[in-house]
Amino acid sequence: MSAPSDAAPAVSAPAPTTTAAASSGGFTFKLHPLVIVNVSDHHTRVKAQAACSGDSSSSSSAAGAGAGAGQPPRVFGCVIGVQRGRTVEIFNSFELVLDPVSGTLDRAFLEKKQELYKKVFPDFYVLGWYSTGSDVHDTDMQIHKALMDVNESPVYLLLNPTINLSQKDLPVTIYESELHVIDGSPQLIFVRSNYTIETVEAERISVDHVAHLKPSDGGSAATQLAAHLTGIHSAIKMLNSRVRVIHQYLVAMQKGDIPVDNSLLRQVSSLVRRLPAMESQKFQDDFLMEYNDTLLMTYLAMFTNCSSTMNELVEKINTSYERPTTRRGGRGAFM
Amino acid sequence: MESLEALVAHIQGLSGSPEEVAHLHSLLKQADGDSLRAHAAALVPFLAYLSPETHSLGYLYLLEACATSGSNLSEFGGGDFLVTIAGFLTACSADQIRLAPDKFLNVCRVLKDQVMQLNMPIRGIAPLRAAVRKIQSSPEQLTPVHADYLLLCLLAKQYMAGLSILEDDIFEVDQPKDLFLYCYYGGMIYIGLKKFPKALELLHNAVTAPMSMLNAIAVEAYKKYVLVSLIVNGQVPSFPKYTSVSAQRSMKNHAQIYVELSTSYSNGRYTDLETFVQANSATFQSDNNLGLVKQVLSSMYKRNIQRLTQTYLTLSLEDIARSVQLETPRDAEMHVLRMIEDGEIHATINQKDGMVSFHEDPEQYKSVEMVEHIDSSIQRLTALSKKLASIDENMSCDPAYLMKTGRDRGRFDGRFDYDDYDSVPHKFF
Repeated sequence: MSAPSDAAPAVSAPAPTTTAAASSGGFTFKLHPLVIVNVSDHHTRVKAQAACSGDSSSSSSAAGAGAGAGQPPRVFGCVIGVQRGRTVEIFNSFELVLDPVSGTLDRAFLEKKQELYKKVFPDFYVLGWYSTGSDVHDTDMQIHKALMDVNESPVYLLLNPTINLSQKDLPVTIYESELHVIDGSPQLIFVRSNYTIETVEAERISVDHVAHLKPSDGGSAATQLAAHLTGIHSAIKMLNSRVRVIHQYLVAMQKGDIPVDNSLLRQVSSLVRRLPAMESQKFQDDFLMEYNDTLLMTYLAMFTNCSSTMNELVEKINTSYERPTTRRGGRGAFM
Repeated sequence: MESLEALVAHIQGLSGSPEEVAHLHSLLKQADGDSLRAHAAALVPFLAYLSPETHSLGYLYLLEACATSGSNLSEFGGGDFLVTIAGFLTACSADQIRLAPDKFLNVCRVLKDQVMQLNMPIRGIAPLRAAVRKIQSSPEQLTPVHADYLLLCLLAKQYMAGLSILEDDIFEVDQPKDLFLYCYYGGMIYIGLKKFPKALELLHNAVTAPMSMLNAIAVEAYKKYVLVSLIVNGQVPSFPKYTSVSAQRSMKNHAQIYVELSTSYSNGRYTDLETFVQANSATFQSDNNLGLVKQVLSSMYKRNIQRLTQTYLTLSLEDIARSVQLETPRDAEMHVLRMIEDGEIHATINQKDGMVSFHEDPEQYKSVEMVEHIDSSIQRLTALSKKLASIDENMSCDPAYLMKTGRDRGRFDGRFDYDDYDSVPHKFF
């Protein structure tokens, strides 16, 4: 879409809102999984409620901005977190209401929520806002600029609910706003930023929990254990195959089939030198004790298995070859 | 029937490849029988023409004919004949003799009888050991030669020689008598070596083996079993489920005195046990068990000291001597020291004040050796469980079993009961 070349620096002028370029801002974004879960939860709830209520009434929270009939409504909210120097860490988020008439977020509500969060998390600031959709909309810049008085450089987090299962990456994108000169006039556009996922232990547990789709009745211990062990088994198998690939590569290099690549060799050498990760007598002792414990449990399990087979075998032998002594009474009833 | 020379020529000629050997075998079978035996005396010089390794089968036939001819072996120069047999047994080729196993067994038995007659059992040990290895189709098979071999080892008091044969686990048994003798003699050898737990295992097998009638070997084995289990465990366990019914009913009646011994032992008083033993020493002697009974007596002390470890953390030597009914603290110290060396208890003796402190098992399970130990045990157990599963399946297909279980259900329920088919093993699907 081409920008109209009028010089009016109208905020609402449709402009190319994104480029494919990565942000040059140098900010490092760290995203906590809680945010992603929150956003997707918000979206799902709204979608479910809209479906329940039957028709697409405009009283749903964000029917306005550009959502066509048949598409799930967009949801909006605010992200909060901590900014330390160049690192922006997004911890949490909460929902906001978009005023469909003016196309802006409800400021009073935002401020009230901000105050409440400040009481509990004094370190957290409003870092930006989020929305759902497959791509950035034209009106998003409006909302973005509106937030600029709270945070001079807010972030925009976009979640794409139409996930493509073949894609391995998360459908979450973070945009920053930058001032670029386009067609002679400086304009704010969204540029994509890279981000990493940062987890605290508690978050990791809950994500694991959700990811493995625990059966509703709690599952029996056996299936849980089996699922757990299967996970570990596939992880180890993958590790093994990767190590094998490296090994083959090195062997080929040694033989001369492949040209020697020093940087790769340095990387492999540093990888190898990272092990053993821990080397102390106490570690050895504890490790061996745990190893022996597991082995003993396996041994015990096998013993029990064997004993039960043996028991069945003895029963069979007794029934076929021994003259029954006390069983005559019972069997007489059938004859 | 061909002349002996022709036969020998055949043997020499036809001992090359397996097909030739099979042909030779049929020829020999034809020539066998009384005709061969009748010429027994003339056979000996012919043996010199044949070599035991290459012409094993022919050699075997001729040898067997000589040996079982019924005439006195001293005709053949007794000692030398023994050497011939011994040489054959060590040198023969396993594949060839497996074609005629019963003849081989006859030869072995003749050897054994001969050495026993000459009262030199030690001469028979090496040849019979070679014979056992050759005739076994797998190390898990039991042959009659096993029992003879163990008997010779016992008579010659060469217990270590018997150990190599005893260490193999037996899974296939042809003749029940072999099993009984093997277990009984094996148990005695282990007792001689003072390896009481293993002796207990073998004697247990002898006592619980399936038998339709009680046999004398099992009764003797039971007597020793009672004594050894008193030494090892301090008590005699009751018969397990897989003991045959006839054994359960009548075994104890034949070994009454041993049962009384075990009850007296469980009371824990050394003097009572001693008087009982002395009162019945004649009976024990006639069973050749007196030595073992004396060992039971001395194990009484050990049992009592072990009981002390469960009550006390430290104890003085005088107290130990008093409660175990030993005479002096010196004796108590000797006993405790010996037990510590054998690994039966964990304790330290403080010689200055004459105190003994008892400890827990110091095994921490944090060594690599323990890992290997447990790992090898798990491997053994895996192999065993596979065997067990296959035996179980075979048993499920056994007609006697199917008949017995079929009779229980089929008569009661005229229509097909699909539950019955669950027990059919899956190899049929």
